[in-house]
Amino acid sequence: MTAAITRRDLAVAACAGAAAALLPRPADAAPPAVGAPVPADALPAREASWYRKLPEGRVECQLCPRGCQVADAERGACGVRENRGGTYTTLVYGAACTVHVDPIEKKPFFHVLPGAPALSFATAGCNVECKFCQNWEISQFRPEQVAALWLPPEALAAAARQKGVPLLAATYSEPVVFWEYVRDAAAACRGAGVRPVVVSNGYIQERPLRDVLPSLAAVKVDLKAFSERFYREVVRGELKPVLKTIEVIRASGCWLEIVVLLIPGLNDSEAEVRALARWVKSNLGGEVPVHFTRFHPTYRLTNLPPTPLATLERSWRIANAEGLAFAYLGNVPGHPGESTSCPGCGARLIHRIGFEVLENTLKGGRCPTCGRTIPGVWA
Amino acid sequence: MRGTLNRRELARLAVLGLAAAPRLREEDTPPPVRRGRVGVAPLAAPAGRAVDPVLAHRAVAAALAAATGLGNARAAVAALFRGEDTVGIKVNCLGGPNLSPRVELVSALAALLAERGIPPGRIIVFERSARELERAGFPVRRRGGPFLCVGIDNDYDREPSTSGEIGSCFARLVSTTCTALVSFGVVKDHDLAGVSAGLKNLYGLIHNPNKYHDHNCDPYLADLASHPFVRRKLRLVVLDGVVAQCHGGPAYRPDGSWPLGLVAAATDPVAADAWAWKAIDAERTRRGLPTLAEAKRPPRFLATAERYGLGVGDPAAIVEVRA
Ligand code: SF4
Repeated sequence: MTAAITRRDLAVAACAGAAAALLPRPADAAPPAVGAPVPADALPAREASWYRKLPEGRVECQLCPRGCQVADAERGACGVRENRGGTYTTLVYGAACTVHVDPIEKKPFFHVLPGAPALSFATAGCNVECKFCQNWEISQFRPEQVAALWLPPEALAAAARQKGVPLLAATYSEPVVFWEYVRDAAAACRGAGVRPVVVSNGYIQERPLRDVLPSLAAVKVDLKAFSERFYREVVRGELKPVLKTIEVIRASGCWLEIVVLLIPGLNDSEAEVRALARWVKSNLGGEVPVHFTRFHPTYRLTNLPPTPLATLERSWRIANAEGLAFAYLGNVPGHPGESTSCPGCGARLIHRIGFEVLENTLKGGRCPTCGRTIPGVWA
Repeated sequence: MRGTLNRRELARLAVLGLAAAPRLREEDTPPPVRRGRVGVAPLAAPAGRAVDPVLAHRAVAAALAAATGLGNARAAVAALFRGEDTVGIKVNCLGGPNLSPRVELVSALAALLAERGIPPGRIIVFERSARELERAGFPVRRRGGPFLCVGIDNDYDREPSTSGEIGSCFARLVSTTCTALVSFGVVKDHDLAGVSAGLKNLYGLIHNPNKYHDHNCDPYLADLASHPFVRRKLRLVVLDGVVAQCHGGPAYRPDGSWPLGLVAAATDPVAADAWAWKAIDAERTRRGLPTLAEAKRPPRFLATAERYGLGVGDPAAIVEVRA
């Protein structure tokens, strides 16, 4: 089920949370009313939190590993950060271009409050350019090219609480490029009894990651392949920093799940999947959920077929054989690989079809049959 | 004031046969290209920003004649454009009021196109946004006047199209409306590309230029210039070099600027940029600054563009013809 939050809901929530009064003031424009459209020619400019000034008015962004060096009047590669006279500014703080309530399984998180709805939001922009991006109409555009609503962090948290939604998910495009917004939304969630989660490509520098990680309940990382070549040619990013991010998240204790979109002929070889599974087992342990999901042709990869079921099942078997206790399949509704089974006794614990949870027999995070602890955020 | 042609207005142009109904016309005879040749005409920098419209017209006409070797501007324009063309003139206004093509120079080109028999409603000066045009002093308007003047704003194709490494949605003005294009740029240093002149200005045709600045914009600018929309429609580059900038670009920096005192034109878009590179490096050397190559931002995309067969990218091979 997907339910859009109306502007009215948000405006009401904002009033309830007195959000507007607490807003940070954009540097060069008064913000519109909460829930109102953000004018394309008056984006909410706000000083970025992770950058350093360079000589001659230039700046170096320290948010993601690209480390863009940006001259005055120019933007970084993500298109949402601009050098304004030597001050690096984010142009998307509070400018949500998408807001929906989705089931948490859609992110997908399979070990976080199964069946719970998540208020999900995004801004324009992304720091990579995956040729298979499902959300390219927001991720590959600049903020002035995408309609957005002014929804400051407090308004998001208040809206989630008002709707009785226990999770706030930064997702759809790439939360790294709106990291200040994520940070402050996560902080606002604390008082509202809402748990913030992030769905990310993991292409972020360590300091901003560590700055925000303690506020997050869970992170899902898209591990887009297990080869630098794929990252270079298909993603226009790098694998190594993403692996580092995954290790940092795992070591922090924040709940982590990994998704691998298998694309025919590009990242789905037996050898690559096996290497990935072995890396997860030896660096993160066997209890991190890894989802292998089906590719559908889109954006700049419309020439490839959807991932064959046989490829998905082979990858699933490899992951199981390599000792990953929670390997899943995605985008194959009704397949047993969507459900959670106990690695101890094999009992089915959570029965899913698509994004629906049909049955959840977990008792206090344990298998009701053998008592094995199943890791996750269950309550 | 809204400065974008809406879909209905574009449809009206198409019905009247004034827009390029088929996106690309294979049967078009390619206009003459003088490879490696750049025509330049003097135009002294005025005390203020505005130049005398008569002098501006004279300089643009002389540069066109020199670029084409056809004796006069009328013959040059007649060789490059057809009476039934819809001509888009992309101006680069990122540098704001001090470092954008002068309105008087762009108006002079529009007047030459009008003399060719192209109606004012089919001469469209455009930039990424109406706001940028206004900042640079252009009169944004969707009807009336000697030319239209509009921002692309969000009017891009719905689907991306690919050329080499780039995958972008083009402005519909470029993909659909215009049958001919002019890149009207400036002569300036660019922090990442090295040179911003005629080719860098073309980044304003696509929705996602921020993705393509790595490696001194190479091969991305060459890939963009070789996309069929550009390769088949771009007829002319004109550069406002009355005041140029050798350092600190792309934003305007008074201390990086100097009165070059020239208007340049070329039918070879790569040559125009190679000429600009030469001019910028000469001024940098005069000031004791490292060359663009020494500063680690050579416009590498020019060699790639030359390899693609788009023109001459070696500054040493440029033939500068003074009017
Ligand atoms: S976040 Fe954006 S501006 Fe910063 S380094 Fe990454 S792509 Fe560049």
